[in-house]
This record gives sequence, C-alpha cells and structure tokens, in this order.
Amino acid sequence: MVQNIQIHNQKFQLHPLGGLFWEEKSLLLISDVHLGKVSHFRKFGAAVPRKAIHQNFLLLDKIVSDFQPFQICFLGDLFHSSLNKEWELFENWVAKTPAEILLVAGNHDIIAPEKFEKLVVSIFSELVIDSFLLTHHPEERKGYFTFCGHIHPSIKLRGFGRERIKLPCFFKSVNQMILPAFGQFTGTHSLDPKDSDEVYAIVENSVIKV
Amino acid sequence: MFHIAENWFKEQNWKPFPFQEESWNAFLDGKHGLLNAPTGSGKTYALWFPIVLNYIKNHPDYKIKHKKGLKAIWITPLRALSQEIKQSAERITQDLETQMTVGIRTGDTSAKERAKMRTHMPDLLITTPESLQLLLSSKGYEKTFKDCSAVVVDEWHELLGTKRGVQMELGLSRLKTICKELRIWGISATIGNLEQAREVLLGPTSPELENSVLVKANLNKKITVKSIVPKEMETFPWRGHLGLHLLDQVVPIINNSKTTLLFTNTRSQCEIWFQKILEKYPEFAGEMAMHHGSINKETRLWVEQAIRNESLKAVVCTSSLDLGVDFAPVETVIQIGGPKGVARFLQRAGRSGHRPGKESVIHFLPTHAIELVEASAMQKAVLNSAVEDRIPYLNSFDVLIQYLTTLAVSDGFYPDEIYPEIKQTFCYQTLTEEQWQWLLNFLVMGSQSLKSYDEYKKVEVEEDGKFKVNSRAVAMRHRFQIGTIVGDATISVRYQKGGYIGSIEEYFISKLSPGDVFTFAGRNLEFIRIKGMAAHVRNSKKRTNKVPSWMGGRLSFSAKMSELLRQELYTAELEFSEQSEEIQALNPMFAKQREESIVPQPHQFLIETFKTRDGYHHMFYPFEGRAIHEGMSSLLAYRISLLAPITCSLAFNDYGFELLSDREIDIQEILDNNLFTPEYMLSDLQKSLNSNEMARRKFRDIAVISGMVFTGYPEKGIKMKHLQSSSELLFDVFRDFEDDNLLYQQAYTETFEHQLEEGRMRLALERIAQQEIVWKQCSQPTPLSFPIITDRLREKLSNEKLADRIQRMMAKLTK
Repeated sequence: MVQNIQIHNQKFQLHPLGGLFWEEKSLLLISDVHLGKVSHFRKFGAAVPRKAIHQNFLLLDKIVSDFQPFQICFLGDLFHSSLNKEWELFENWVAKTPAEILLVAGNHDIIAPEKFEKLVVSIFSELVIDSFLLTHHPEERKGYFTFCGHIHPSIKLRGFGRERIKLPCFFKSVNQMILPAFGQFTGTHSLDPKDSDEVYAIVENSVIKV
Repeated sequence: MFHIAENWFKEQNWKPFPFQEESWNAFLDGKHGLLNAPTGSGKTYALWFPIVLNYIKNHPDYKIKHKKGLKAIWITPLRALSQEIKQSAERITQDLETQMTVGIRTGDTSAKERAKMRTHMPDLLITTPESLQLLLSSKGYEKTFKDCSAVVVDEWHELLGTKRGVQMELGLSRLKTICKELRIWGISATIGNLEQAREVLLGPTSPELENSVLVKANLNKKITVKSIVPKEMETFPWRGHLGLHLLDQVVPIINNSKTTLLFTNTRSQCEIWFQKILEKYPEFAGEMAMHHGSINKETRLWVEQAIRNESLKAVVCTSSLDLGVDFAPVETVIQIGGPKGVARFLQRAGRSGHRPGKESVIHFLPTHAIELVEASAMQKAVLNSAVEDRIPYLNSFDVLIQYLTTLAVSDGFYPDEIYPEIKQTFCYQTLTEEQWQWLLNFLVMGSQSLKSYDEYKKVEVEEDGKFKVNSRAVAMRHRFQIGTIVGDATISVRYQKGGYIGSIEEYFISKLSPGDVFTFAGRNLEFIRIKGMAAHVRNSKKRTNKVPSWMGGRLSFSAKMSELLRQELYTAELEFSEQSEEIQALNPMFAKQREESIVPQPHQFLIETFKTRDGYHHMFYPFEGRAIHEGMSSLLAYRISLLAPITCSLAFNDYGFELLSDREIDIQEILDNNLFTPEYMLSDLQKSLNSNEMARRKFRDIAVISGMVFTGYPEKGIKMKHLQSSSELLFDVFRDFEDDNLLYQQAYTETFEHQLEEGRMRLALERIAQQEIVWKQCSQPTPLSFPIITDRLREKLSNEKLADRIQRMMAKLTK
C-alpha cells in the first residue's frame, strides 16, 4: 500500500519498499541500495549469507514493475564498495530494465564513472528538475525542495507498557525529504522529528504517516 | 628431589602444606591434575616447584649448563596477575641457582618483546588464553612447544563457564599432541562441580584424565559474615543498587581496620562510591584509592603496591581485585550489594585476613530492602559452603571456527589430524562428522556449496589437503580478532595533551556531546571530541551525575542459594525473637507488603497484578534466581500469547519476574489453562525464543568470535569501517536467508543449554505445580515488586502483527 503526497503541486507515491515515485515525470527515486556489500564482506572473509545478494535485485524488479517508470534515479550509494562480481549482476539488471537510469553519486560510489557510462547510466553530482533538487547528502537550498538519502532514517515509536518499535521511514522536513535505505543489508539511523517534520514509516507492506 | 624444595622452605622459615607436597609428588610422578586451593594459599609454589625440580632432575648439570627453550606455560585469566606469578617463579629459579628465565606475554607485551620471543622463548612463560591462541597462530609453533613439559591453568574456575575456557580446551588439545612429555594442571577455587572441572580441563575420555589427581588444599579458614543493617528502616529504599544510604555506617568500619577493600558490582558503582565517600569525608583524601578494569595499568599497579605497603586506608574496587595478588594488610572486606554468587562472596571474603590461620571478615552492605534477605541467606550459605557450579559450554561452533582459522593461519592443518584432537575435548565430545564437514565447508567457501560469482576468501585447501590461509590480509585480520572474545567496542580516554586515562565503552561516549562532563577514574572530565579511536577530555571542576555504565555483572543465583533465599524469606512469618537481625529489620517492609498482598509461605506461589502509568503489571514470584526467571517469563509470555496475541515487556531479578503489557492479562485464564505445566516445556521455550530477542543478543558474541563481524582493534587504532556491520543486521540476514547455519542456530541452543539451565527450570515448574496459587489484585506496586518493575533492562515478546501494534500506538498518541 503506497502513501500519496503532494509537494509543490506535484504528486508523489511513497512505496513500502522504500522508493518514491514522481507521477508527473514518471521518475522513480531510490536511495542507498548498497549493492555489492554482501560480496564485499564475503571477499574479506566474513561469511554473510550468499543468498542475500539476490534479494536487492528481486526487490528492485518488484518496485520497477509496480510503477513501470520512464526513469529511475538512484540517490547515491548505489554500490557499496570497489568493484566485485556483483557488478555483473548489476549489468544484467540494467540491461533487462526498460527505463533510463541515472545516478546521483554518493560517498560510497567509488566505481569509475566509465564503468557506468558503458552501461548508459548517467552520473551526476546533483540534479535539478523544476523546483526540485536531487542530492545524496541532505542539503536545503533556497527555492528548492530536496530529495536525498545518505542518512538511512528510521523513527522510534513508544507505546503504553514500555512498548518501543523502530521503523525505517521517509523523513520529510519543510523543504526536504530523506528517503529510507532501499538496500537489504544496511542499518538505520534514528531521527527525532520536530513539530514541522512529517514522518512516513514503513510498516510491513504499507507506508503510514506517524 | 624433594629435599631441594624442603630446604628452600626451611630457609624461608616456612613449612610446606600437605597439599603442596601432594602436588609436587603427583607432578613428578608424571600425573596431570586439578589443584583446589584458594588465592593466597601458596598455590603458585605448589606447581612452580615441581616444574623446576623436574627440569633439575632431567638436567643434573643445570647449574653450569643451560638448555634453551620453553619448558612450561602458566596461563592466567587476568594479565594483571602475571607480575605476581613471575615474581614467585623467579624466586625459585634464582634461589635454586638454575639459569632459567621467566617471561610474560600478554596483550600488554610490546611488539619488540614479542618479536624477540619468537626466536628466544623464555624457559617459563606466563600468558593469557588469548595470547596462547596467538602463539598457535605463528609459523613454526610446533617447534616452539615441543619441549614444553607443563601447562598450568590458573584460576580455572574463572575460565570454565566461559568461551575463553573453550579456547583453553582447544589449545590444550593441540599441545597434548605436539609436546612430547606434557603435564596439564589446573588450579581452581572451590566450585560446585570440581570433578567436572577436571574433566573439562583434561578431556572426558582422555588418557590424561585417567592419569590424573584432584588435590584439595582444605585450609579450613574461618569466615565471619556481618550484615550492615540500616539504623532507620523507614527511609531505607525498596529498590536501587548503589547503597549510598549506608555510607555513614561504612566509615567506622574503615576507621577500625588497617586496610579495607570495598567491593562493588559494577565499575560505575565503584566510581560513584569513591566520589561520594570523598565528598562527605574529605579526610580520606590521599588514603583512599579506586581500582577497576578500565583504569590504566600504571594506576592499577600503583594501587596494588600501595595496598601492600599499607599506605591506603580503603580501596573501592570491582572484580578486578577478585583474583590473585596477595594483599596481607587487608583486614576487612565490605561487599556492596549482592555478590550474586556464594563462590565469589567467599573469594572476596578471603581477600581479608590473608595469612594462614587468620580470620576473614566480610561485611555485607545491602543496597535495597530485599537484599537484607540475601544478606541473611548468605551467612547460611557461607556456613554450608553452598557454592555454585560453573557450567561449561558445549558445541561452541564459533570458538571452533576461530581456532581452526588460527591453525590455518600458522602452519595450516589436516582435518584428519585435528578432528580426533577436537573430539577429545569436553566442549566438542558430541561433534558429529556432518557438523565437522559443515564447519570445514564454511571455512573454505563461506557456505556449503561453491558458486561461480562468489568471491568468498578465507581458508584455502592446498593440493595435499592441507587447510591454509595464504592471504596476509586475512591472517592479519584474524590475529586482531583473537582475543576480542568479549565486550563491546571500547574506546580509549585521553587528555587532549596526551596521557591515557583508561578505556570506556563506545556506547557511552556516543551519547555525549562536546562540553558534557562525566566521572571516570575518579575524575570529572569534560568531553572534547572523538579523534581516531580516542575520546579527548580535559579536567573539569563541574559536578556531574554522568557515570559510564558497564554491562555485565548480572549473574544469577545458583539453585542452592535460591533455596536458602526462599528459606530465609519464609522466616518472615516466624516470631520476632526467632528471626535473624536482618529479617527483623525488614518487618516494616513486610507489614507494608501485607497491606494488599502477602509474604509467601513455602506452600504458596504469589501472583500480583496492578496498574501504573507504565501499563499493566503482572508479577510472579518463584524465587528461583534470575536465569530461571528469564526463561520462565519467556515461556509464560509465549503460552499466554497462544490464547490471544499480546505484546509485553519482561523484567526479572532473583526473586521473581514481571510481564508488563498495555492490556490486562487474565490471570484466571492462565490458571485455568495450566500455563505453568512442565509439559512441552522445551519445545514451548524454543518457540518463545523466536518471538523475543534473547537469541539475537547471543548472536552478537558468536558473530564476533567466528569472524563474521569485524570489530577493529581500538587499542591499536585500527578501525575497518568498510567491514563494519552490526551483528543485529547480520542476524536478520541469517534469519531470512540461511537459518540452517550452525552459527545462527548456536545462538538459540546457547540461550537454553547454557543460560537457562533446563533441568533446574523443570524442577521449578514442578514445585510451582505443588503450590497453592495466591493471586492478589493490588491498587499500587508492592515492596516485593518494586525492584523488578523499575528495572530498565528488559526483554520483549510479541506475536502481534506489527501493523496492529502501530495502530494502537498511534491511537494512543492522538488521544
């Protein structure tokens, strides 16, 4: 179940897998996938379950088929490490995915730009579309609304009986939206919302405003 | 041979104890063994002597000719003890005019010295279990150890119930093969399962066990336990763990004795007591010191020396002073708060009156009302020496993975050679061929099958079938990892201008902002910044109540102690004159307890329910010790959840446990459905673990030990950021993708077999089945419930849909 919101008179859908779809532009935003992380760990002798490698690609396929976007823009940290064999899986994924793919580079994206260009994935340090700014690191710029990642935001909820839950979330302040990390083997960082902030938590198969 | 030792004793004006002579005899006869002797009884001489005598016997011209190379290893669990052990060894080697050298190798040993040892091992080496593993990870270790004639594992009881103990078992299994004429000896304080301790040390089916002895020192030492009973019971708190209310009553005790040790249970409690005594009684300044594991080594050594010189009136300390180190001037010991174990209490008591024949005096200072019951029970426990067992681990796959990697890093290993060695250990006696094969696959492939895109790299199989690590980077990371067997990531605390103060859990520092002031090592420090792996601080005059907290120290009562505790509580119903002083003092509290509830009698099982701001509290009082309550609360919550979905938080102490929920649980329904039945206990427990977090927490250590989570090496300033992941994340990945992984499953079996003590739990449930259930609905918390409901360290259990929980929480938010 997606959550619909409007910003600057544009329509956006927040997907429970952690992506954000801009209806007018048919643009899917995804942040912090950290592909290659499992393989990187394994390469260094930490035996993270190998099956986890495929999960990221399965989920990418799922969200792409849900929206069928013209364009997909990754908001940084697409690849966790230097080149490893997971890159080949990524190549296959790009080849079979019928959408234009863009990357706003993040701090983890250290793979040579030429490798991306070969796959016809364009790289940017930031993107401006109308009055929207797409970056990896959070940044508020006058006159723009920012979509970004990097933080892996989550929110802590408290209830009666000392109940406590931590959930990944879309974290919206007045002029900025931080996307949750899409990747599977990634942690979260919990944020404390101010009164002016809006938090959309991912609860299993739905996105709920809290 | 003996006359040499006897002459030496005569020269010192000493007379050897029977247990010392017995050990010399057995050792020289080529026997292995376990020596049961308390600290400070002369146990070092019981074993250093025969080691040296044995060398003399085999080398009659020892005074002129010296045969180089390692001859004996002395293992100590605490590196702080190594100096003391070295001194007693040197006294013998020098007085007997041998040319033997004594060396220490621990985490504190400099790289230069270690490199020197690689070519020139001392004759007698003092080291820790971790450092022994490190030696096994260096090339050509077989040659180093080949002439080693003895391994002595000191304070074996401290290692026994831990994974360091497993590390030791594995190390010994290798040494048995590579040392030509090895004797294995352990030294242990009194514990409940001494015979088993010997079995674990030597291997349950080994020829070594057959050829071994158990030597008991039997030094009947008189121990006097005195409780510090509050003068005014009305103002004495129902909960708490600090005990500062009784500070004024401690001062006369300190004044009346030469040197007093004040044992606290945690390092933060230690810091606070030190601070508060000085605040209120500044005259102790300069005559009082503090000693705990996070303080830098120089300071600790200074304190230890000052105790020996009698220049200190009092030392506030933690378990860091539990072991070793002979402090003759200590006359009195004060235990602040329950020591959570009779053995530990006895050991601490033994720190005073440390000379043969002298009486040991220990004062028990309760930190809250109910602990007075414990104080009273402890006196009986000491009389009966009702000491607890240390339960050894079984099938710790994580430690085995680490050990096999260690062998692969040094000279490599052939599985067919190593498997029989491992099968002989206690820990792995039931290891199957399938599990063994699984582990080997895991080492080489990081999984059970090979896949083309996988780049997993650790151990390689060479052509002749040897398992070997060839990558220097893998080897280096592994060596760093050995020894990080316990604990959270730590960070060092330094002055900005340099000067190491100690180390602190990273967790605590991460909660500070620059400018915050906290108390550490007896100083008020202002936090400036984190740089590298160090927290920079400066001295501050500001007062603060921030004290680093350290986890751990939450041990559980043994079955025996729990029973004594129950018996003591039952005396609450006796005539005043028949009660102990402690129980008498508690009468006002019992009166309060009886206002709405009861003080349970032997035939009663008490359940209380009430509501507070926090939610609905459901209290149960089996009085079986913390570990049993932990399991029982999980079991009960799970069984309740089968009746209707619930979410609850669990808290427990040594007296009982609590289920706290946002809705009322129908107790009548629990009774009607017979939810305390011992039937299906094990399978229910297992299922309950899936809905709580216990296994997840266990997995943390497993992930670190088996090398799946790399913690970096703070003391060396090495932090491998790109390889860091939390064990929590990893746990989820295993749950979702590889739940048949042995290491993942170990997290579950460990929770049961080690922590929960299944057998004891069954007995407890059977006892409850015989009791009359008394359910009291109260309007407010009772004195018995108080220490439990205020506990912040909780387990959670839920079988509700996440979405439902969120909906309810949101409904509450909007109310």
